[in-house]
Amino acid sequence: MTQAKASEFQSGGGMLLDLDHVSKIYGDLHALDDLNLSVPQGQWLAVVGSSGSGKTTLMNILGCMDTPSRGSVRLQGRPLEDLSQSQLADVRKNVIGLVFQKFYLVPHLTALENVMVAQYYHSVVDEDQAMKALDRVGLADRARHLPSQLSGGEQQRVCVARALINEPKLILADEPTGNLDEANERIVLDLFRQLHDQGTSLIVVTHDALVASCAQREIMLNHGVLAGEQWNDEEAKRAYLAAGGRPAFSGAPVDSGDQDIPVGFHDPTKTAKTGGSLPGSAIDGKGGR
Amino acid sequence: MAADRHKSHMTNTRMFLTMLFGAVFRRRGRALMAVVASLVGAATLFCLAAVCIEAPRQINQEMRSYGANLVVSPIQGDNRSAGIEQGMVDHTTHMVTAKAPARYATYRYETVQVNAGARVMAGIHPDQVRQLNRHWSVEGSWPRPGSVMVGRDLADSLGLTTGKRMTIGYPASQVTGTGKGGGQGRDFRVGGIVDTGGPEDRIIYADLADLELLTGAKRGTDVIEYSVNTMTSGLKTIAASINDMTSMGVKARPVTRITAGDSHTIAMLQSLFWLVSVVVLVLTFVGVGTTMASIVSQRRSEIGLRKALGASSRGIAMEFLAESACYGLAGGLIGTALGYGFARLLCLSVFQRPLGFNWWLALGTVLLSVAISMIASIRPVLRASRIDPALVLREE
Repeated sequence: MTQAKASEFQSGGGMLLDLDHVSKIYGDLHALDDLNLSVPQGQWLAVVGSSGSGKTTLMNILGCMDTPSRGSVRLQGRPLEDLSQSQLADVRKNVIGLVFQKFYLVPHLTALENVMVAQYYHSVVDEDQAMKALDRVGLADRARHLPSQLSGGEQQRVCVARALINEPKLILADEPTGNLDEANERIVLDLFRQLHDQGTSLIVVTHDALVASCAQREIMLNHGVLAGEQWNDEEAKRAYLAAGGRPAFSGAPVDSGDQDIPVGFHDPTKTAKTGGSLPGSAIDGKGGR
Repeated sequence: MAADRHKSHMTNTRMFLTMLFGAVFRRRGRALMAVVASLVGAATLFCLAAVCIEAPRQINQEMRSYGANLVVSPIQGDNRSAGIEQGMVDHTTHMVTAKAPARYATYRYETVQVNAGARVMAGIHPDQVRQLNRHWSVEGSWPRPGSVMVGRDLADSLGLTTGKRMTIGYPASQVTGTGKGGGQGRDFRVGGIVDTGGPEDRIIYADLADLELLTGAKRGTDVIEYSVNTMTSGLKTIAASINDMTSMGVKARPVTRITAGDSHTIAMLQSLFWLVSVVVLVLTFVGVGTTMASIVSQRRSEIGLRKALGASSRGIAMEFLAESACYGLAGGLIGTALGYGFARLLCLSVFQRPLGFNWWLALGTVLLSVAISMIASIRPVLRASRIDPALVLREE
């Protein structure tokens, strides 16, 4: 990485996502408190944390479905806080693919039509392309079925097909395997791996240690504050730092009193699931600058 | 390139229709409720409107068979002696029929002598008069050459019965022409006796040619009676247009004993129609609006998802408005068919006549049904378009 390139990253110009002192405040509640985070293009990031830790708030902000109370978010170098609802909708359909825990398929449309809905709102409907996306997630033969005729795993795979159909730069997945059995969880994670290998950025919110461990990088939130950051891929970390990327941090102090320790961070379950062979297990930061 | 763009556009349009089809036909429960709400309104409106339009028409037709509703006569002191010439009869008839379909009959009246008494004799074209006065009760036959029809009262006073013969004279002092029969009595057979319950019962009706032979003169007619297929307002317009043309030398007046009845019935029907229509419209409005609100409420997550996928508020509003238009269209079509069925049954039972299908009314009902569905959906649709896309994640 050249010096110039590194300084470009440092200024946020080369980052896909750049959160600068972002807070979301509801009355007295700081759902997200002074979070700083950069995500380069092609990175797979996992966001872990217990319920109420601010994961969903962060997802809403990253997915252009909500705006921060304070701070700024830049997506592809473009600040989001000044955009209108209609412009945010444009960003959502052009840059982001969404995968939800509850699948969220349109119940009266077939699997194929559900994939085409994303094309419809994005630009142009192309049935062949939609069929290929379904084929990619192994559901070509279920294309004409309604969601009610599909299993949970199949529905989630339709969601993944829908998320990738417009070739988004970033896929945001909120607990994508939360309602899946192990077999389907593996299928979905394989799909994510393929997408990541092709250069798609992934941000996955999860409780699941195995899912989190698949990411190159994990951050942990607690009560809206960054409680830690961990790299599972040292090579990715080196490249990130060399490109001028900074560790995530929160300006607000971490409330470490009665916090739940999220899985994935010193959690024996995770070790059992992954065989204790995770690369890079140190918590690099704990909310301090 | 343009072809590709066209193809793409068509595909997106098809996708829009597919989504619409899915929402309407794969969610039958709610869709059925919305269609039923529209259907009830459309059926009631069509039935009421059909009956309100058809009933006055049927009543009008019934009344037309009871005689004339417009009488044209010469302006006093102008053409009295010459009567209305055939050319003017044709002209007047043309003016009337230009406004509404009409039948007519002409009458030439002369004072004749029967048994030394003066009587009124009318020279007519029997077919015209028979068509115009279907309610006349005629015993025997209508006038034919050499055969007259005598009014019931006159026949009774003269002791005439069908088949008897009578001599009718025409006073020489009244002879104006140079015909052969002028001033002489002529022998006629009493072909029939007419009973109308009105002044006609004191008149002798003869074929016009016979009257001309008797009087020895040809002249214009004294009265033209029209049975015009229109309502009071139409009759007044026709009468006014004739009366305005003073150069025609004739005057027209509507016969009010029939048209007043029309007006009363029609006014009552129309008041009822408007009252019930407003109630039905309000009920339909509330029904469709409530159903659409319920549909929107049930589909909040789906709407949030669509917005999360990049749908604009306008796009969501368009989809739901199109959906409600579909419900209105389906309800309008089925409702119109049902409404026609009810209206037809009603007309058969009341007027003993089938009701013709009024395509314009049907089109109007369907369009109104679509419009009401769409207007009633505006509030729920606006609510739908304002749904926050973050809803899909908040409800996790």
